[in-house]
Amino acid sequence: MKKLVIILGIITATLAVILSVLPLSNLTYIPAIAALIFGLIATYMTRDNKESKKIIHLLLLITIISLAIATYKSIFNTVEIGNTEQLEEREKESEEKAIEELEDLGL
Amino acid sequence: MQRLIFTFLFLFSLTIKSQNIPFVAGEKLTFTASYSMSGLLTDLAQVTMKTSEVKTSKSTLLKLKCTATTYSKWDNFFKIRDLYESYVNPNTLTPYLYKRDIYEGGYTKFVQYKYNHDSKTVNSLIRKSNRKGGTYDKKNTLSISENTNDIVTTIYHLRRLDLSNASIGVSYTFTVLFDNKETIVNFKYDGKEDINTAIGTKECYKLSITVDSSDVLKGKNSNLLWLTADANKIPVYAKFKIPVGNGELKIKSASGLKY
Repeated sequence: MKKLVIILGIITATLAVILSVLPLSNLTYIPAIAALIFGLIATYMTRDNKESKKIIHLLLLITIISLAIATYKSIFNTVEIGNTEQLEEREKESEEKAIEELEDLGL
Repeated sequence: MQRLIFTFLFLFSLTIKSQNIPFVAGEKLTFTASYSMSGLLTDLAQVTMKTSEVKTSKSTLLKLKCTATTYSKWDNFFKIRDLYESYVNPNTLTPYLYKRDIYEGGYTKFVQYKYNHDSKTVNSLIRKSNRKGGTYDKKNTLSISENTNDIVTTIYHLRRLDLSNASIGVSYTFTVLFDNKETIVNFKYDGKEDINTAIGTKECYKLSITVDSSDVLKGKNSNLLWLTADANKIPVYAKFKIPVGNGELKIKSASGLKY
């Protein structure tokens, strides 16, 4: 049971850290919260054991890092549109052609 | 004398018709398109609707333009640079030429419709890219009904609806020519609602959209559009449900308004 919780925690924490660096960073919160819950359960389950808790600490650390990245991106990253130079050029060409076509239509 | 009266009446009717048009050349509406993923909305693209004047040697036409551009963070994943244009009569919004030039994640397509309103036909040209890296053209002559418009013109026609005295539940039908196919789009008036937008809190007309014999839009009452209940009738908010999820279109800015 303990192993399963730790494995699930690692999977969700990895997913959270991957999502946090992608444009989908606001989706990070879902796996990150799940990873935190798994991490806390694992900590509770191993509280009396003397075995190493390094893996659980690592899991919680990764989760906190992913949450920090996602929060930073949601606060400081401004949404801006990509390069529209080509689109503007296409628009210009299209209008020039359109005028010729409209003239052909007798307008 | 008869000619003079006729000319006067003709000019008067044109004035009335152009007064019906709630926008002028130079209007620019900017929207943010968002897509819902697991219930969380992610801003995907900026959609712009712009009107401008286009002069030919004989006449002055109104150009209705819609563009969609993905935000820079999405460009490496799925770049969208879509351009939709329609050249219409500035008084009646009768379309003469429609162009759709899209770039969506590497996929390109060009569609052009030249309207012939006398014969109720449209000369269509579809240009797609082939496997060799070149392009191929597909030309067709399509018969259309009297009130058929392209998608861009339909959006602007929608703003001409007089909803001030409309009763709840009344439906307005538009025929839209898209991908060489005429599609019936219904807009049902659902009453007035106050909407909080980036340009202030606006009293709006709420319309629900359904598309006949098409599965482009999913769900009942899931596809909604809010137009401001003022003389400008700006579309400020839209919600839609498509086969791959839910989306939203929210107004970001509006300039060059008529009123």
